[in-house]
Amino acid sequence: MIELRDVTKRFGRRLAVDRLTLTVPAGEIFGLLGHNGAGKSTAIGMMLGQVWPTAGKVLVRSQDVMSHRGRALERVGAIFETPAFYDYLSGWSNLVILASYTARTSSRRIKEVIDWVGLTGREHTAVRTYSHGMRARLALAQALLPQPELLLLDEPGEGLDPEGIHEMRQTILRLHRELGLTILLSSHLLNEVQQLCKRIAVIRQGRKVFEGAVSDACRSPRWYRLATGDSNGAIELLRSARLIANANGERLIELADGVGPDSVVRLLVKSGIAVYEITREEQTLEAFYLSLMRDDPQRADKNQSEAACSCGSKSGAT
Amino acid sequence: MFMLQLRNELWKLFGKKRTYIGFVMFLLSQNVIALVFKYTHASRPMERMLESSGNLADQYISTLTIATIMLVPAAVFLLPLYVALIGGDLVAKEAEDGTLRMILSRPVSRVRLLLVKWLAGAIFSIALVAMLGVFGLVFSRLHFPWGGLFVWMPEQSILSLFDPGAGLGRYLIGHAMLVTEACSIMCLAFMFSCFNMKPAAATILALSFVFVSFIMEHIPFFKEYQNWFFTYHLHLWQLVFAEPIPWWRVAQSLSLLAGFNATFLAVGITAFQVRDIKS
Repeated sequence: MIELRDVTKRFGRRLAVDRLTLTVPAGEIFGLLGHNGAGKSTAIGMMLGQVWPTAGKVLVRSQDVMSHRGRALERVGAIFETPAFYDYLSGWSNLVILASYTARTSSRRIKEVIDWVGLTGREHTAVRTYSHGMRARLALAQALLPQPELLLLDEPGEGLDPEGIHEMRQTILRLHRELGLTILLSSHLLNEVQQLCKRIAVIRQGRKVFEGAVSDACRSPRWYRLATGDSNGAIELLRSARLIANANGERLIELADGVGPDSVVRLLVKSGIAVYEITREEQTLEAFYLSLMRDDPQRADKNQSEAACSCGSKSGAT
Repeated sequence: MFMLQLRNELWKLFGKKRTYIGFVMFLLSQNVIALVFKYTHASRPMERMLESSGNLADQYISTLTIATIMLVPAAVFLLPLYVALIGGDLVAKEAEDGTLRMILSRPVSRVRLLLVKWLAGAIFSIALVAMLGVFGLVFSRLHFPWGGLFVWMPEQSILSLFDPGAGLGRYLIGHAMLVTEACSIMCLAFMFSCFNMKPAAATILALSFVFVSFIMEHIPFFKEYQNWFFTYHLHLWQLVFAEPIPWWRVAQSLSLLAGFNATFLAVGITAFQVRDIKS
């Protein structure tokens, strides 16, 4: 549904997006993560043809956004961090105006969308009287007007209270379930992303440092939980054999570069230490994200390739 | 779809209170000027000039004459301000408010969007000039009798007398030509509005351009180059009060203003087309 091929964007001398390659398959809820200024909004801007890439290609619905923007965006809806409307006009008028930039839209369709987002009864009131939540609903309504196949959500939860965030999460799931939309969600709310998305990409300083399944991200690529007959002895032995880079307490070990759990087990068993369990440590998306943000980019690249490898051999336990 | 988008653009434009500033100010200023002419000796020099040339002042100190006199300060000072304000707002205000990003997440082309906006700006300019003419006639008619038209514009070397029918005709043609001034200044502000700048900056730049052109045009050194100045051709509306109308000069100015407008629009479209729209 979305394909970015080696996309680079420079604003003057500042490199905003650096050779970003990304694929969002149809029917998926895909999360785009990154710190402020990482390049997420720029990437979304390029998907919408609002920002021109310096190099590379952006395809949306198999159409090149630069050369066939009209066709690419025919069935695309977008919601931005702070949805802006003509505050002096009613919600209905706003929808009529925004819809006219896509195609002729019937009043019935507008009414249908207003019903869907739950704004019925307030559609003829000026938008300046709307609460933050109502504006978010109106933003959703305008995004749904063109009967989209793809929805781009750029920080949709920004400024919402916990109820609002809960409602947003339910709405996204409903959109995915009932309308079968492909959704690209850019967000800082890692917990929401973890609950909503199957796959994510993490951008740091314009570079993609991870792309993969959320389950892989939450599975630490190097940290293992180890249960043996002699925890301290085992860690000492592994440390002296340089099979581990780090240990946390008696049970958590970080494997050294290029070392697999099989080597650990082999050494311990050969040394007469009983191994009861070795399991890849599960981590929260937040922990994973923070580890990527703390790492230097080269190390992050390594994380990514290790995560990619782990997709092939998911059985961490022996 | 184009007409629907144009209708919506007008809806947005005329839904804003600031759009009406020009109309309200014309309403007030025309009324005040008419009252000043009625209750002071402001028309005395005109009366003397008419009587010294053997004409009856009563026949020419009329609705049409006062309405035409009121036109000069409005056309020179107020009209450029209000059309520049709207022209500068058309794109830059939407970019500032974030609504431009909402529009451009839709499959509308940037060129089409600008053409719709420019056309809405042109319709506003026509409406503003039309109201200027109507207010002028209405308020001067409240205080002065219907009669002939006396025009004295020393800068253009115009001193003309018209009977009421011909005077009304010239008054209407004058407003039709004034539309070209309003549209050209609106288009200039619109061009700046297409760049990445605040709406106020676009308006100020456009007005600065007009003032600088006006000042340079009046510097004696540039007298022989005045054909090259934008503002020289904006005075076109005054020429229709000459007897006879210098049609060749009118056509020349019209064609040059068309060229200026096409250039402003092309520069604006190009700047907007290559620009990145960000939050």
